[in-house]
Amino acid sequence: MNPIPTAASPLFCGRNLTKVYTAGEVEVRALDGVDLHLYAGEMVVLLGPSGSGKSTLLNNLGGLDVPTSGTLTYREQNLTHATERELTIFRRDSVGFVFQFYNLIPSLTARENVALITEIARDPMTPEEALDLVGLSDRMDHFPSQMSGGQQQRVAIARAIAKRPEVLLCDEPTGALDVKTGITVLEAIERVNQDLGTLTVIITHNSILSEMADRVIHLSDGRIAHVDQNPERRPVRTLAW
Amino acid sequence: MRALDRKLLRDVSKMKGQMLAVGLVMACGLAMMIMSRSLMLSLSTTREAYYNEYRMGDVFTGLKRAPNAFRQQIEKISGVGTVETRVVGSLKLELPGMLEPADGTLISLPEDRPLQLNRIFLRSGRFPEIGKANEVVASEAFANAHQLVPGDELDAILYGAKQRLKIVGIGLSPEYVFEARPGESLPDNRRYGVFWMNERDLATAYDLDGAFNNVVVDMAPGANPAAVMAELDRLLDPYGSLIAYARPDQASAKQLDDELLVLNALSLAFPIVFLSISAFMTSAVLTRVIRLQREQIAQLKAFGYSSQQVGVHYLKFALVIVAIGLVAGSLAGVWLGDNIVTMYHKFFRFPSLTLHLDYGAIGWAFLASSAAAFIGAGAVRQATQLPPAEAMRPEPPAEFRPSIAERLGLQRWVSPSLRMALRNIERKPWQAFFTTLGLALATGIPIVPGAMRDGINYLMDFQWDVAQRQDVTVGLIEPGSASTLNNLRNLPGVIHAEPFRSVPARIRFGHQSRRLSVMGVPPGTLLNRALDHEGNPLPLPPEGLLISKKLAEILGIVPGDRLTLEVQEGRRPKLEATVQGLITDYAGLSVYMDIAALRRLMGEGGTVSGAHLSVDARQWKTFLEKAKEAPRIANVGIKDAVRQSFKKTTAESIDLIQGIYFTFGIIVAFGVVYNSARIALSERSRDLATLRVIGFSNSEVAGVLIGELLMLTLIALPIGMWIGGGLANIIIQAASTETMRLPLILTPLTYASAAVIVLVSAGISFAVVGQRIRNLDLLGVLKARD
Repeated sequence: MNPIPTAASPLFCGRNLTKVYTAGEVEVRALDGVDLHLYAGEMVVLLGPSGSGKSTLLNNLGGLDVPTSGTLTYREQNLTHATERELTIFRRDSVGFVFQFYNLIPSLTARENVALITEIARDPMTPEEALDLVGLSDRMDHFPSQMSGGQQQRVAIARAIAKRPEVLLCDEPTGALDVKTGITVLEAIERVNQDLGTLTVIITHNSILSEMADRVIHLSDGRIAHVDQNPERRPVRTLAW
Repeated sequence: MRALDRKLLRDVSKMKGQMLAVGLVMACGLAMMIMSRSLMLSLSTTREAYYNEYRMGDVFTGLKRAPNAFRQQIEKISGVGTVETRVVGSLKLELPGMLEPADGTLISLPEDRPLQLNRIFLRSGRFPEIGKANEVVASEAFANAHQLVPGDELDAILYGAKQRLKIVGIGLSPEYVFEARPGESLPDNRRYGVFWMNERDLATAYDLDGAFNNVVVDMAPGANPAAVMAELDRLLDPYGSLIAYARPDQASAKQLDDELLVLNALSLAFPIVFLSISAFMTSAVLTRVIRLQREQIAQLKAFGYSSQQVGVHYLKFALVIVAIGLVAGSLAGVWLGDNIVTMYHKFFRFPSLTLHLDYGAIGWAFLASSAAAFIGAGAVRQATQLPPAEAMRPEPPAEFRPSIAERLGLQRWVSPSLRMALRNIERKPWQAFFTTLGLALATGIPIVPGAMRDGINYLMDFQWDVAQRQDVTVGLIEPGSASTLNNLRNLPGVIHAEPFRSVPARIRFGHQSRRLSVMGVPPGTLLNRALDHEGNPLPLPPEGLLISKKLAEILGIVPGDRLTLEVQEGRRPKLEATVQGLITDYAGLSVYMDIAALRRLMGEGGTVSGAHLSVDARQWKTFLEKAKEAPRIANVGIKDAVRQSFKKTTAESIDLIQGIYFTFGIIVAFGVVYNSARIALSERSRDLATLRVIGFSNSEVAGVLIGELLMLTLIALPIGMWIGGGLANIIIQAASTETMRLPLILTPLTYASAAVIVLVSAGISFAVVGQRIRNLDLLGVLKARD
């Protein structure tokens, strides 16, 4: 299945991806034969109910986990058989993560949380630039406990994008936020996608968010149920839920 | 089993490493407590039974000679129970295959009545038969050292006359539980022994027919020893008596008392140190468990469990730690105790000495460790007081602020991972404080045996290389004239001889007194020298005394004070002399005087008690052969032999002590670091997993966690070295006695080995925790908030 034909070669190429977890004597097929291509600069939303396989897919894309069978490649690199070390380098150089619960280091300020990345990345922006991009220039020296949830999430985005990743993976980035705050966070993600041309994949329960995407992939029971192609992306600031 | 207890078991098995770490630190303290209390019990009950059954005397004295009939006069002294009058003399021994001479003490066995005081426990053989000359019972320590059995014979010189002694029995006496040559602080069983012989033979040999020269008395119930001693002195004065002394001053009894004192100190000091550390560790573990189980606690309460039930459930975690500590501590305590009892067999001779486990101590150990654990379990209060609704919500985010270094403007020099470490330490200063303290103690503990070992080596060098430079010290049977000195000088191989005059005296200042010998040596002596604390010889003043610093301390005097000397020899004059200076020495108490001044005080000519000799090594054999045969020589002290024997005996004890201290240091260091690392790992697993996810490698993540602990370890090392020096000083001071005291010597090697022990233990903890970082559940930890 390759619903968006482009001339460019895909960043990610997944074929017949399967992921089976064994919990005791029960086998759970979290992914059950997924085929997909993801392209540079795209904004993709993964939609689906709990247990549909969204997070498993995102974890496989981000190099946190490897599929049980099938092949997953990133550019020329085969992630299916990558070693722990290769996966670490892949995450370090190419992937930015944003989580539902921000996962900032509480003992570091906003600037320092971002600096954690910029110190190990190959060609990072400065922490100040990254924080400026998410509109937090005035909160650089605040600790997580001194910031609101939305501000913390924007720090997390700044941390994710400071390395100029080719891929930004967001797992329920607004799940713990109210609408207004959620919008500011999504605006930041939208801006990164547009300004830096980063492939952005967002997991959400919230179908309203699908309007900000180029493509919406609907997952159900570990399979891709269908893919919607938006003719035009809707600016985040016009969204409401 | 109730569901909550099942939960306890599973929780405990999940955190068994940590429970074990805390339990073992606790076990170190309990082991020391159980070991030392059990040894005290064993020594004191065995001594008590031995003294009672074999009737150890209460008061002792010696004299020149009194007729046997005089015994009845002594029996009439009010307060006296039984009186034993004896002949006691010294003998020289010639042992086949042993070049250097040995000597011993010979004690009479009455023939006309049963031996009533200081009775002999016969290990094998029999007592000498009446009428059979030269049969002796030999002390077990000496017999074992030479593998002598009843039926063996020995050549001996009694009062200048050679005799062949036949060993008919091997025995022990309560008077010689600690069997060492008078005035020596360690036994030398190869070169010194005690023998018992029938009274008539012995009296004949020593020219004391129908007379005695030694008295042992036991007290009637409720009698005052001081009054009895005073009366004894008065009564025996015309017979050339020495001053009577009571059982606490008796050499062997004193050694046992000293050992009990040291054990008592050990039984308190170590448990306090180890239990304090384990209390902190328990607290850290429980706080963490409760924080992790916040939601479970809320559910339990929501289901209807009372706060008390929840509290008891978490207290049981502390009890599991106590159980581990108690079982491991008791086993280790018994094992250590057994080892020390084996070592005691070299020093203390009882008919039988085995370890009596002090069950009371185990009870105390249980109470003390429970108290420590429950102090540590203060965190349980948080669990019981937590309202269910609040507990259901995740904990508020931890608050941080810039660390002191950064507030001082040093942030440019501080990397992010160092910042995390610094801020974490500052946020939980108590946790950091106790971790550092625990590690500092772990560093300090192994310094103690190192300091003891170096102290002993220094003592040996100081005492036997710097102070005493003679090869041999020869003592005469009785003080002799200048011609005797010439005879000694003419022994084969003697290069240089210096006479000494040794006068037994009671030295008195105010209310304090000691029985000692005043040592008269020539001014400018080359061999037996009085030294200052730097090892430089102190010139002998033409008048007055130089005395040991320790003696000055005991008597409470400073140079310039005048002492009374109650001389115990000859006309037994009472003299006064001024203390002119203090000397440094580490064994015994010494009083030095110019030999000419001493002779003037005594009103005598060229009298000598013996001589210090340096001997040509090439003629060593001949010298010893001649010295053994010389009738006027009572004993020949060979410096190297004494030194070797001292070295061997102390080395074995020190090895055991060092082993114990090193093991404890390792357990504490490993336990503290492992416990802290596990807690930090659990508290920060979310942070660490995040770092892994965003691209940090395993070793980089481990660096963040370990960096903090390594920093605390490095802070702890110098503090621990300082504590260790202090601890060594306290222990060396506490063990400093009149017979032996150690200088405090702290070498870089001692410090380095302590640091290595702590760093290696910490490194092993890091490796174990590093393994856990590799197994961090990246997905799980990011999903749920803990």
